[in-house]
Amino acid sequence: MQPVARHLTAVLRVALGAVFLYAGMLKISNPAAFAGSIASYQVIGYVGTYVVAAILPWVEVICGALLVTGWRARTAAAMAVVLNVVFIVLLFSTVVRGLDIDCGCFRQGGEKTSAWTAIFRDLMLMVAAGFIYRKGTR
Amino acid sequence: MRSDLRRLATEMAVIVLVAAAVGIAWNFRLLRDVWQGHASTASAPSLPAPNAPAEPLPLGLIQIKELVDSKEAVIIDARDREAFRKGHISGALSLPLGEADRLVPELVAKTPKEKLLVVYCNGYDCHDSKTLGRRLLAAGFGQVFVFEGGFPEWRDAGYPVAQGGE
Repeated sequence: MQPVARHLTAVLRVALGAVFLYAGMLKISNPAAFAGSIASYQVIGYVGTYVVAAILPWVEVICGALLVTGWRARTAAAMAVVLNVVFIVLLFSTVVRGLDIDCGCFRQGGEKTSAWTAIFRDLMLMVAAGFIYRKGTR
Repeated sequence: MRSDLRRLATEMAVIVLVAAAVGIAWNFRLLRDVWQGHASTASAPSLPAPNAPAEPLPLGLIQIKELVDSKEAVIIDARDREAFRKGHISGALSLPLGEADRLVPELVAKTPKEKLLVVYCNGYDCHDSKTLGRRLLAAGFGQVFVFEGGFPEWRDAGYPVAQGGE
């Protein structure tokens, strides 16, 4: 790999990992609030929202930790791509259904982030994760 | 190539399984309460819970919408009068936490104890709904739930909002 590409991959990997760690830890600290955010998407039922709220932040934290440390970084990057695809589909569905909700991506119950802003942000994260997956060492 | 993909899929599955194990263990009490709360409202919304919990249980937006639409529950706004006048869940009753000493006995006098009560306030950072929920449980109501998303989540979902009133 070219030195520039290698450094860029490392920078992106740590940055993406930090974003996932940050997002996951905020949600772990307030699972009921995150359940409320999931519920506002009106996709899964009551118990399901809490189960997802209990598990998803830990997926984010584990992926974040793997990306930051570089251990199994390709797997974490692939997971990040999958997660972002799911997030983008869900966000797009809120636009289609006319739901004007906060994306619940980071701090719960804070200032509202519009679906389009969140979709754009997730696309950026997905591209970064895809780059890490392709360039990352096996 | 194929073995590489298989290994990738396996490692991704391991991440999800580890996250599930840690997440469920970490939130065990919350999930247990949620499960019990869900079971009691889904199976017998009009019956008193056999063992009334000491803490009001959380309910999500979808369930609150169903309860408001079916008029099965008394929806209680725990915020102050001014916030209630500016906007509240359509059909909600104003019972500010600050006036609970006077208003809870009035509610007890005119509401059957087995009635399902849902308390809300101003979102996740607001704890008045939970505090009022505990007061209502202590007053003898068997089924008291808290809508933690509160008025902001309801309004943001585009559901019916009313203004004014006491």
